[in-house]
Amino acid sequence: MSSLTIALPKGSLYDESAALLGAIGIEIPGDPGRRLTMTSLDGSAELLLLRPTDVPAYVEFGAADCGIVGKDTLWESERSVSEAVDLRFGACRLVVAARRADGYHEGARFPTFLRVATKFKRMATQYFSERDIPCEIIALHGSVELAPIVGLADVIVDLVATGSTLREHDMVVVDEIAASSARFVLNPVAYRSKYARLSALCERLQGRVAP
Amino acid sequence: MRLPPGVRDWLPQEFAFKQSVEDRIAVVFDRWSYARILTPTFESYESLERGLGEKLMRQTFRFSDPLGEELALRTEMTTPIARVVSTRLRNATLPIRLSYIAPAYRYEEPQLGRMREFTQAGAELIGAAGADADAEALFMAVETLDAVGLADAQFDINDSAIVDGALLSLGLSAAAVRSWKEAIAARNLVDLDGFAARDGVRTERYALLRRLVVTRGTEDVLAMARELAPNPEAQAAIYRLERILARAGALGFGSRIAIDPALLRDLEYYTGFVFEGFLGDLGFSLCGGGRYDALLPRFGYDVPAVGWMVGVERILLALERRRVDERRSREVDVFVVGSDRAAMSERARGRRVRVDVRGLDRNAAIAYARHKSIPRVLIARGEEVEEIHLDADEQTP
Repeated sequence: MSSLTIALPKGSLYDESAALLGAIGIEIPGDPGRRLTMTSLDGSAELLLLRPTDVPAYVEFGAADCGIVGKDTLWESERSVSEAVDLRFGACRLVVAARRADGYHEGARFPTFLRVATKFKRMATQYFSERDIPCEIIALHGSVELAPIVGLADVIVDLVATGSTLREHDMVVVDEIAASSARFVLNPVAYRSKYARLSALCERLQGRVAP
Repeated sequence: MRLPPGVRDWLPQEFAFKQSVEDRIAVVFDRWSYARILTPTFESYESLERGLGEKLMRQTFRFSDPLGEELALRTEMTTPIARVVSTRLRNATLPIRLSYIAPAYRYEEPQLGRMREFTQAGAELIGAAGADADAEALFMAVETLDAVGLADAQFDINDSAIVDGALLSLGLSAAAVRSWKEAIAARNLVDLDGFAARDGVRTERYALLRRLVVTRGTEDVLAMARELAPNPEAQAAIYRLERILARAGALGFGSRIAIDPALLRDLEYYTGFVFEGFLGDLGFSLCGGGRYDALLPRFGYDVPAVGWMVGVERILLALERRRVDERRSREVDVFVVGSDRAAMSERARGRRVRVDVRGLDRNAAIAYARHKSIPRVLIARGEEVEEIHLDADEQTP
């Protein structure tokens, strides 16, 4: 029987992903370093070490049968994968935030044409269009909180975990858009063709995170 | 010159490979007595729109003619066939069996197994309700994949009446049912858990439904479904699936067919029985289909129908991955130099003939034939024709 292929995100979700898989019997041999693939200690799974944003693509095409990825990545990816288990770790919220001085959090009105800086173009577009707020989305790749400070944008749409980054820059949450956490995702066809193993894996993960 | 995204050229060897697969599919269609049909590549948007769900509507290539009429490229073949049957074939004796192998067009992000121009092969059985017609569609799909060399393909079957019945017994609002079904179709259990909490469904009831949605099997699934969906529509669907399983078992491919209660395919299109065929080593389905009793009524002809289709390029992809090279190793049977008569008589015998147009001498002609792996050379010498057989060993480089 061919082994399972699991896509794992390098970076902030990696340690907890590896620990969780280890806890259900898929032990990962230590620090991946610069490796691209690894085999689990029991030989039952092939692990692909990917940039988090690439996980949905690998799973959608079946290059990986399943994987772990943040919900925030799924929002923007438009890939069709099955979200089987909410793994609960890596929790954060997607929020609209602005400078405290602008008073948007206390009901001050947005400018007639709002400039929004974000890494989450789809979610931001959807949020403002559902509320009929005309806006221009400025797609950035990092340090989004700088944009209002230098006058590039009026507000930002970004992830917040503890809120310390916002506080450091004297910014506040204006509205909460959605909550994110790590998800165990499946290729829908792999779930059928490797049903016995993948359904058992889902069950063990579900039992682990929500006993 | 570059091609626009999502379309491709088929060079001779690739095209021959594609053609050989289509030929095998056509033989199966013919043996099941499904007559081939072809409709125009484009027609009025208004007509095609009747068969399109929201997603396909967004993926339709639309344009207008100089008089301003709205036109569209077909995104699939079933809707045009429904139009033909409900207009020009309205007086034909039912059921009608039609098949097609034709390109269709969708505006989507081009990627592996998904192009903007792609070839669909499919079959429609129009004017027949019931499990026998459903089984015919499924068995024909099984035989088709067998015929192209994918005899290990698996098939999952289902009937949306089961999930409908299970949701009905939960007493949800119509809007809630819609969101539940979407989550089930995507097997998005995280969303489903959220909906259960949102809609206040009792924990034990929800646990049973959740179990049904994550299970894939045969008798065990039907047993669960019988309990969870007690309404008559669902019970009838369960009986039909049971019969199809039994018939598949009798044909010897019972082990290749399972029931997946979460298989719902296009919610806006299918009205009952659905199936999908897939391989263990390909992350997307190869073929699929089901019952679409609501489509022909949209063309004013109230008859039931069941059909299925297979993506030809996806079959090629699967075969290529297995390095099943169906390409013909030899394209030419005989090379003829200087004799129209010899060439014509070879063609009349059904051989593939290449005629020299460069005035090659004997040695150059033989060298050329060797280079192109052509086994025979005919060279005119006055009234006579010299025949040279090239050794098979020498032909392969």
